[in-house]
Amino acid sequence: MKVEVLYPEVCNLYGDLMNIEYLKRSAGDIEIIDTSLKSVPYFAEHDDVSLIYMGTMTERSQELVLKALSPYKERIESLIDAGQLFLITGNALELFGEYIECEDGTKIECMGIFKTHAVRKMLERYNSLYVGKFKDIDIVGFKSQFTHSYGEFDGLFETVRGDGLNPGTKSEGILKKNFFGTYIIGPLLILNPPFTKFILELMGVKGATVAYEEAAMDVYTHRLEEFMQPTRGLTY
Amino acid sequence: MGKVRFLFALWAAKMSIPVMRLTGHNATNYPGQIAINICPDFLKYIGKPERIISVTGTNGKTTVNNMIVDIFEASGKKVLDNRAGSNTRTGLTTALIKGAKLSGKAKFDTAVFETDERSSLRIFPWVKPEFILVTNLFRDSIMRNGHPEFIGGLLTEYIPKESKLILNGDDLISCGIAPDNKRVYFGIDKLDTDVTECINLINDIRICPKCAGKLKYDYLRYHHIGRAHCEDCGFSSPEYDYHGFDIDKEKQTVTIADKNGSGVYDFVNDSIFNIYNMVSIVALFREMGYSHEDLVKYMRHAKVVESRYKLVEENGVKIITQLAKEKNALAISRAFDYVRELPGEKTILLMMNCLYDEQHWSENTCWMYDCDFEFLNDENVKEIVVSGPRARDYRLRLLFAGVDDSKIRVCMDELEGAREIDMHKGDTVCVFHGVDSFDITQDVRKILVERAGKL
Repeated sequence: MKVEVLYPEVCNLYGDLMNIEYLKRSAGDIEIIDTSLKSVPYFAEHDDVSLIYMGTMTERSQELVLKALSPYKERIESLIDAGQLFLITGNALELFGEYIECEDGTKIECMGIFKTHAVRKMLERYNSLYVGKFKDIDIVGFKSQFTHSYGEFDGLFETVRGDGLNPGTKSEGILKKNFFGTYIIGPLLILNPPFTKFILELMGVKGATVAYEEAAMDVYTHRLEEFMQPTRGLTY
Repeated sequence: MGKVRFLFALWAAKMSIPVMRLTGHNATNYPGQIAINICPDFLKYIGKPERIISVTGTNGKTTVNNMIVDIFEASGKKVLDNRAGSNTRTGLTTALIKGAKLSGKAKFDTAVFETDERSSLRIFPWVKPEFILVTNLFRDSIMRNGHPEFIGGLLTEYIPKESKLILNGDDLISCGIAPDNKRVYFGIDKLDTDVTECINLINDIRICPKCAGKLKYDYLRYHHIGRAHCEDCGFSSPEYDYHGFDIDKEKQTVTIADKNGSGVYDFVNDSIFNIYNMVSIVALFREMGYSHEDLVKYMRHAKVVESRYKLVEENGVKIITQLAKEKNALAISRAFDYVRELPGEKTILLMMNCLYDEQHWSENTCWMYDCDFEFLNDENVKEIVVSGPRARDYRLRLLFAGVDDSKIRVCMDELEGAREIDMHKGDTVCVFHGVDSFDITQDVRKILVERAGKL
């Protein structure tokens, strides 16, 4: 199995890349392909990628990544339509929308694959705990971002506690076929072993298990219980 | 009207200081808050010392700030500082209130202020330092600071044009701030222990800041600290104006030189981080005209604050309490790296839980997957006790780092951890704690010392 990690030299904030390390440790025979800003993405010329991953980055890096990735917009769209598995975390998902609106009113044009746009407020960082549902799987995680996204989209997670893509919606992330985008940052897969098993099975792993399963489930169940406490603050 | 309101605010704030002290508070922040509440542009009016030195950056600013004050005091000069208080706008305001006469005029001619980098936008419009020393810029609290590029951008926007910058030439992130300001660079020459590929999880500058090409490190010390160049466009790290070299761990000395001279300085502490701090401070004082000869003497009076690192030896057991600032992956990685390099076998107690967050919501633990817990996967580490609200998260992260589960003991309570940790004569017990757990750390140390005494 091949996992392509897009632009790890810049898309590496908040421990996001450990998600891929976790998949590798859970499934063993995963080959990681790192694609850098100045190279042609593997997915552009090959059809044998099990997962395409991109993580959180800085605002300047968003523009660098857009420059590198935009030439492959049509290829990305055809891959999404064909059911290619994507996992896109943090502000990386904004690049698949139409634009990012900056505080000075300027707009950064994005790939326009989805009808969403992000609004950036650098002095109003949004921090939140998150609980949601993916099918019948409970999802826990953390959000920490300068932006919210708006527009028309199908959510990846249905929010139980916290906000969705913006404080006015309970739909979190973007889902289209096997394109999974979410604002949840960091070790999403490590903190959610049941979801990780689902991802591994989509990648073709039969009867998937996860590394350090007992410890990971212990952390997961306690975190879920903690985040569901009605008195537990979510946003600050 | 502005001036009248300012004076009213100043007097109210000054009166609050003895009241707070009488009620058992240390009055390091609140008087400034009162003043700003009454007069929002209080900082504009308050008298300021002629020479202001600001120390900012991600890590080491408290240590550097305090050492600068120690050196001034050793030289016989009394300066205004915010050592006792906070480094945000209200803390600085409180210090200026304490250092002002009833008329609002400054009583001191020199001030040294540790300045929170995130607060620069609220401070620098009114407080114009002659020198700004930036220790470094690293990834810090995810929730508050986001990433160092954001903090660097804030500093560039708000640093006064007239301030001269003392910058870490081995840190390409802080090197790039406020490019139009006058500046000097400090650094440490190549060391035998340097590498060319990063061994840390965090390296926040992997691409050229000019052309986005891949940076090639000529040598790398930790994270992105080192010297690099870009093979695509020729960009490279700046030359040092002040540099440390001949680091002698036996004699505990470092030579620090500039184009006009050099001095052999005794270590304040032997961690490379603190040697950087020393070089930065020498750069600052040399810019102010001090001689190496005097600085060598004054530096002997500079201390690393005990609450950050304390070693107690009891009945053949070394007990180290090491600040590992909660949620700061890089600071904790540095602390892990320092302790793992200490000779001999050791046991470890992890308790750097963000207790404040736990009261209100729950600690964002993403930092753990940016932090080099792998450094604790070392044959000389015999046991790791994980404690406090995030004990389970520590255990999972340690397993991820390759630590055998049989070496990990989970204690949900920190004091229980101190009672349970394996301890024998000749051992070193290392306690990693955060700022929120300063108080518990005292109790933990007491338990460990008592246990050691009974061995």
